[in-house]
Amino acid sequence: MIKGTHKYLAAAALIACSFGSQAFAQGAQGCIVLKSIAEVAKEVVDAKGVKTVTMVVADKVVPGVEVTWTVTANNVCKQPSEKVTINNAVPAHMTYVASSAFGAGSDITFSLDGAKFGTPDQLTVQENGATRAALAAEYKHIRWVFKDSLQPGSTAVARFRAVLN
Amino acid sequence: MKSLHFSALSSAVVLALVIGANNAQAVGVAAGTPINNTATVDFTVGTVTSTASSNTTSVTVAEILDVVVTAPTLLQTPVAPGTNGQVLRFRLDNLGNGPEAFRLILDNAIGGDNFDPVAASPSIYMETGSCVAPGAGVFDGTDVPVVPGSEPVLNADECRYVFVVNNIPSSVVDGNTGRSTLTAEARTGSGTQGQVFAGQGVGGTDAVVGVTLADDVAQGEYLVQGVTVTAVKTQAVVDTLGGNRPLPRATITYSIAVNAVGTGTATGSAFTDNIPAGTTYVTGSLTLNGTPLSDAADLDAGVYEAAPVARVRVSLGNLTQAGGTQTIQFAVTID
Repeated sequence: MIKGTHKYLAAAALIACSFGSQAFAQGAQGCIVLKSIAEVAKEVVDAKGVKTVTMVVADKVVPGVEVTWTVTANNVCKQPSEKVTINNAVPAHMTYVASSAFGAGSDITFSLDGAKFGTPDQLTVQENGATRAALAAEYKHIRWVFKDSLQPGSTAVARFRAVLN
Repeated sequence: MKSLHFSALSSAVVLALVIGANNAQAVGVAAGTPINNTATVDFTVGTVTSTASSNTTSVTVAEILDVVVTAPTLLQTPVAPGTNGQVLRFRLDNLGNGPEAFRLILDNAIGGDNFDPVAASPSIYMETGSCVAPGAGVFDGTDVPVVPGSEPVLNADECRYVFVVNNIPSSVVDGNTGRSTLTAEARTGSGTQGQVFAGQGVGGTDAVVGVTLADDVAQGEYLVQGVTVTAVKTQAVVDTLGGNRPLPRATITYSIAVNAVGTGTATGSAFTDNIPAGTTYVTGSLTLNGTPLSDAADLDAGVYEAAPVARVRVSLGNLTQAGGTQTIQFAVTID
């Protein structure tokens, strides 16, 4: 019985703790919890031979496989966050898949060097003395700028796909 | 709850990955390479701007098993009846992204031919260096017999020449063909595309069967050819006195009749004859089937070389019995 009480108290302490950190986060630091997850498509064939594709966590992948990254930004504070901007570099050994970047309510820009960001029509490459439009495969950085403020408890989602070289 | 759902499935991912684009040619990122990703977020609360980082996701590059065996360059390798140690040269390419050894299987009982070559002992050799190294592809004493179970490991994207050595039965006759196939299978495993050998790849990562199904086979063929090239040389002397005596300054005209006898083709035939001592080549006297050949080394088939040994050379190319007699003539004067 005493043990049970301890358990209860421990759980209560944990909750209090998490509330505490949330309260502490009012100063902006820690207000957004950012999570990243890498997934691959997995084809499942059921007993009737019907194929369905589900997303599963990417653990080990072979070259040529497309990996989907989903980045979630969750506002854990009591105040809205403004100018929420998610940055994600295209991982090493991966090639960005054209038009795969997605994020509801965001303006998406790309960069070749991590410094100058722009929409696809603004990005150019100098090659053999001529200027040409940058290819999606050349994008090295992706930026999502969310137009609206992120309300307390809300989550903003940014997503992109890339293929393992 | 969502994360629980994912972690429950994470063990299932090793069972069947959906392989994307065809990557038979590209070797890809080395197996075992970690692919890490971390996102950052900038935001403003009130007037305070802050930054946060996400967890780092790490995906490990699994080993892909892919192999290609290429048949000998010669569609048919010419052999004679009863000859031992006849070599077929195959090429083995590791198209995977990790080091891999390949089981090599020789099969001489192939349909559609006239005889079965007999495997020599040992019958499969592998070159020790890459197939793109200078001088690669020559079967010589440096090639190592392949011991089943101890096959050499080829690095990702590495290629080697494999030499299959067979003996030709003495019972075969001209025009007979005999076929051999060489099969290579990834030691780790082969099977259906996407099949996973959990934990058996580089550094304990998974090995996954690629588009080549991690095995391949190629065929070589022997052709029994009994072609013999004969050359019959005759001479005619004309002396300066109108006679046929070999006197000084007499001219000797040599005629050489070259014939291919038997079936098949004698490829790349060439005729060479040294100018006899005590004689001098008559400039511009070389002919092939009556057509003059210039002395210079140029586009025509003939050449006269003064050094290191004075001689005439005529390239005859591919000779067959059907092609008939090739007649070469040249003249010298007695010094």
